[in-house]
Amino acid sequence: MSLLDVSDIVIRYGRLTAVRGVSFSLNEGDILFITGPNGAGKSSLLRAIAGVTPIVGGSISLDGKSLAGLAPEDIARLGLSMVPEGRHVFGSLSVEENLLVGTGMHVGKNGWRARVASDLEAVYDTFPILRERRNGQAGLLSGGQQQMLVIGRALMTNPRLIAIDEPSLGLAPNITDQVYERLMALRAQRGLTLLIVEQSSTRAVMTGGRMVLMRGGQIVLEGDAREVGTGDQIQAAYFGYEDH
Amino acid sequence: MSNATTVDTHALDSDKIAVRQPSRFSLAGRTIWTPLLLSLLLVAIAVITFMIGSRPFNQTVIDVFVRVILVVGLYVFIGNSGVMSFGHIAFTCLGAYAAAWLTINPAMKKISLPGLPEWLLATKLPYWQAAVLASLFAGVMALIFGRVLMRLSGIAASIATFAVLAMINAIYSNWESVTGATSSVVGIPIVRTIWPYMIAAVVAVFIAWAHAISRSGLALRAARDEPTAAAASGVDIPRERLVAFAVSGAIMGLGGALMAHSVGVVTPDTFYLGLTFTTLSMLVVGGMGSLSGGVIGVVLLSALIQALRWLEAGVPIGDSTFAIPKGLQEIALGIIMIVILALRPTGLMGNREVTLFRKKTK
Amino acid sequence: MLQIVFDALTLGSLYALGALGIALIFGVMRLVNFAHGDVIAFCVFALLWPSVDAVAIVFAGNLPWYLLIPFVVLVGAGLSVLCEIVVFRRFRDASPATMMIASFALGFVIRYFLLMLFTSRPKSISLLPALSQPVEIFGARLPLLQLITIVTTLLVLAGLTIFLRRTRFGLEMRAAAENFAMARMLGVRANRVIMLAFALSGALAGAIALIFGSQTGTADIQMGAAIMLMAFIATVIGGLGSLGGAVLAGFLLGAASVVMQVVLPVDARPFRDAFVYGAVILVLLFRPQGLLVARGTKERV
Repeated sequence: MSLLDVSDIVIRYGRLTAVRGVSFSLNEGDILFITGPNGAGKSSLLRAIAGVTPIVGGSISLDGKSLAGLAPEDIARLGLSMVPEGRHVFGSLSVEENLLVGTGMHVGKNGWRARVASDLEAVYDTFPILRERRNGQAGLLSGGQQQMLVIGRALMTNPRLIAIDEPSLGLAPNITDQVYERLMALRAQRGLTLLIVEQSSTRAVMTGGRMVLMRGGQIVLEGDAREVGTGDQIQAAYFGYEDH
Repeated sequence: MSNATTVDTHALDSDKIAVRQPSRFSLAGRTIWTPLLLSLLLVAIAVITFMIGSRPFNQTVIDVFVRVILVVGLYVFIGNSGVMSFGHIAFTCLGAYAAAWLTINPAMKKISLPGLPEWLLATKLPYWQAAVLASLFAGVMALIFGRVLMRLSGIAASIATFAVLAMINAIYSNWESVTGATSSVVGIPIVRTIWPYMIAAVVAVFIAWAHAISRSGLALRAARDEPTAAAASGVDIPRERLVAFAVSGAIMGLGGALMAHSVGVVTPDTFYLGLTFTTLSMLVVGGMGSLSGGVIGVVLLSALIQALRWLEAGVPIGDSTFAIPKGLQEIALGIIMIVILALRPTGLMGNREVTLFRKKTK
Repeated sequence: MLQIVFDALTLGSLYALGALGIALIFGVMRLVNFAHGDVIAFCVFALLWPSVDAVAIVFAGNLPWYLLIPFVVLVGAGLSVLCEIVVFRRFRDASPATMMIASFALGFVIRYFLLMLFTSRPKSISLLPALSQPVEIFGARLPLLQLITIVTTLLVLAGLTIFLRRTRFGLEMRAAAENFAMARMLGVRANRVIMLAFALSGALAGAIALIFGSQTGTADIQMGAAIMLMAFIATVIGGLGSLGGAVLAGFLLGAASVVMQVVLPVDARPFRDAFVYGAVILVLLFRPQGLLVARGTKERV
């Protein structure tokens, strides 16, 4: 059974249909890039999976359990951690406090305290800069550091799947490289499943994994990132040219 | 009323661009049904009241008309700008006291309000002239306060308007020689026929409509719905808000003057939180963004209050009388308001207006 | 001089506690809760319960202090949570204006419920009469009550700060106040955080009721409203959603009222409140976002 199953979902804002009939599935340990131009419906799709935006058709299930009607916090508690676009750090909280916000859901489980401490160490080992700034205000971090913080914060919830919206947005390329490097390391270490939205397919090609290309609320191309992303089709699909 | 069709004001908003061309008259022609139908409703209420001829009922309907004026005044600013104001009753207070100053018998004034300037002490105007002057006075004061306040927006603006109300209340509650402080100012000529109140309410409705379809009103509503786009297309938001603030201040002043003439007595606390919330509730329950909503909110909630009062007084059912305990009236009113808002968060009318023809949807 | 300082602190304490009660709820659900003042009034009248006679018979108010205080605080918290469950839960997605009017309507219901039971005549109650004894500090004679008010407020503030800074619930609340949607995506339970905010706010209302009730010695339906207005203003000029700002602005307003009473010329003293409100407008013009801007608090009015 696949970890995440998205089948035929439709999202509407008033009369505007943002996503029309998108389906895909993700197995444990997979990495899937959702790419496509602005307004393709990528972020809407991600928000729907996280339970923030309601869907009007189709179904989403995590590990066989339907997510229909679940609140965002319930979905987070099932092990799906969402990192929305725009690096929403809690600016007035310290870096460490930011990391601890999401650990509340595991309270009461055996050895919670020790677990939190070791998770914290793990995140600090992955992102040493966060350890350095652990007591500083999160709002004062640079863009790249904030991106690391939100990824670290998502990790602290012990997720099975992390969905990240545009991790490279507004970051210098070398910082983006660092962020991806860490993400891939985490995936290797923990068997984490990754769902990443990016506007361009460049990252997908560099990183490898599966890729879908969305345009106009639909999936227009899918396959292995290295194969699909380098072919001629991609440009046509991205810009919506007629096929040959 | 219920079989009148409704039209989305967004359809009206889409005419905003067209308004720069000489299609203004066609816009007026298409929207004039709203004030006409609302006026018809008010006239019908007045005629029925006149035919019933009961004096307490007459007084009740006068109160309804006064509240229609006040709520329409609120709509002009709050509805069009989208900024909540808690301070408009301050202008009602100004209008009411101005009417008192202008109409009380000079001999009485010299004793009760000795601090007034000579010329004002000697003045005694007919009530309708006084009402017009009071309305202008309130409008000018709104213009002055607005100059300062309209730089603010959002909740800061709401609180600042509230501070104006509290400030006016504090001044009028303590300025012994000019306002009689907290004691009642008596001797205002009482007007008991409903017609002047009805006419004033109809006038208020038409002023609100004329403002709403004016260039300034359209620009303001555009700014309410799309602030960034409106600002980018050259809408001077503080200025348009100021226009609405002054117009609504004048309407509130008119309502205040008539309120003074309907009871013959004014005290500062009449024009404070109680009235603020009553009128705001009527506007919000009716639909904040709609002129029809404001008027219908007043009529419906007033009818509801009256019905509950009637129940409180006791209704004969067969041999026994059925009466609800005292105080239950207000509790029921509060609960009904909560239920209406829970079911229709944008009020009964939402953003729509009553009109005769349904607009073609694109 | 010392007397002025203490007067300012006492008045500021009440405003600060009130403002905190409003800011807590605003922080998590962007609701300006006009019913808060009526919750305060309800707590005061809870002291009279179950006696509804015209002549006040203090019943619950006669409890020893170690039962009295938890009783009133729990009444406040309970009523406040009840308001959330019965009413405000249905308004989560409504516009701020709609929520405000709903909260006003709810306050109206509470007020008239009290009125129905107790009539509108203020009742004299004597709460902890030992507290009105004066004490001498640094050569100034101060009512013991004033001292206790200030100390209590400081303790409450310290307690709340510790709760918010050192506990997991506090952390979740601070995160939710700053970005509710993000906090939920991290598994923070919306209902629980909001209920907690209401409970704390109600408990604060209980504390105000105790302090105010013993200060004035009366139970009056209107009593909540007076504090509420200033508290409401304090919340806004403190920076909506900023708890520290609310407290700071509460004390500033208290100080401004007391100081103006002293420094204004005799002729102008009756107009003190007008000057205070004028000052409020000035503050708003210069700091429209409030004194301490809460990060991530976008206006939605």
